[in-house]
Amino acid sequence: MNGDWITLETRDGSTAFEPGEEIEGTVSWQLAKVREIELRLIWFTAGKGEQDSRLVATVPFPNPGEHEVRRFRLRLPDGPFSFSGKLISLDWALEAVAGSRAERLPITLAPGRREIRLDGDAGPR
Amino acid sequence: MRARDNPFAVHRVLAIRYRLSGVTWEELLARLADLRFRAALVGPHGHGKTTLLEDLGERLGGHGFRVRPATLHEGDRRLGPQRDSALFRDPHPRDLLLVDGAEQLDRLAWWDLRRRSRAAAGLIVTSHRPGLLPTLHECRTTPELFEAIARELGGEEALQAATGLFARHQGNLRDALRELYDRYAGVAKP
Repeated sequence: MNGDWITLETRDGSTAFEPGEEIEGTVSWQLAKVREIELRLIWFTAGKGEQDSRLVATVPFPNPGEHEVRRFRLRLPDGPFSFSGKLISLDWALEAVAGSRAERLPITLAPGRREIRLDGDAGPR
Repeated sequence: MRARDNPFAVHRVLAIRYRLSGVTWEELLARLADLRFRAALVGPHGHGKTTLLEDLGERLGGHGFRVRPATLHEGDRRLGPQRDSALFRDPHPRDLLLVDGAEQLDRLAWWDLRRRSRAAAGLIVTSHRPGLLPTLHECRTTPELFEAIARELGGEEALQAATGLFARHQGNLRDALRELYDRYAGVAKP
């Protein structure tokens, strides 16, 4: 339905975290026919060759209503770290998923809350 | 350049879907129905067979078929338990079996697949060579197609980098696009 939406926010809008750090935030939605909705913590690769991905954690939101705001809290694992080289990048993301609809929030998980650069470019500081 | 930002990163390439030439989707689906949904997509490596098979599956799934895909890789002479389960576990008359790389199967495995597929609504395979099943479509590539994809992914500047790659890779778009990735990543000499 056109009026359907999902939003995903972390507390303070943070998108970069230390390994093992706890993330808090909210998932909000307006979904006319929602049966289940959950938050997923994933990592995936991008670049050359086959893509790889892992579902690391899920936070279910039981008995979802049509319009709700739910809080979540989850602890990040110790790794793998977010990194990017010339041939492969490893990215983390939070995803709020309801059936075929999903909202993704890219995050960084690395020491110092900075993606590790292996492409010879330290990136913007 | 970070890998994720490379215009020829695999997730961007995979977003490019098959571009039919010389036939419409309606004509292709009508021919497939004439063949009782038992047909082959034929062409060399990197000519779009897998992409076309995926696109066909998506369209036919919308027509009430239950799409059951399986992929064979180089040297896979038998289905093996995982692919066997993907194709034949809990069978249903609306099952449409999509087998990518069917030419890899040895004769006995291919014969067995054909025999067991009779209970399904259809069997569509990709193959490097014709003859396994009636050919539904022969996948071809052209320099113009390669240039159009290179431009779409990398903009006008990609055209210069793409010069000569189509011929060098003998029309294998997958390999040509991988070389473009390397050039943008700075890991290959132009």
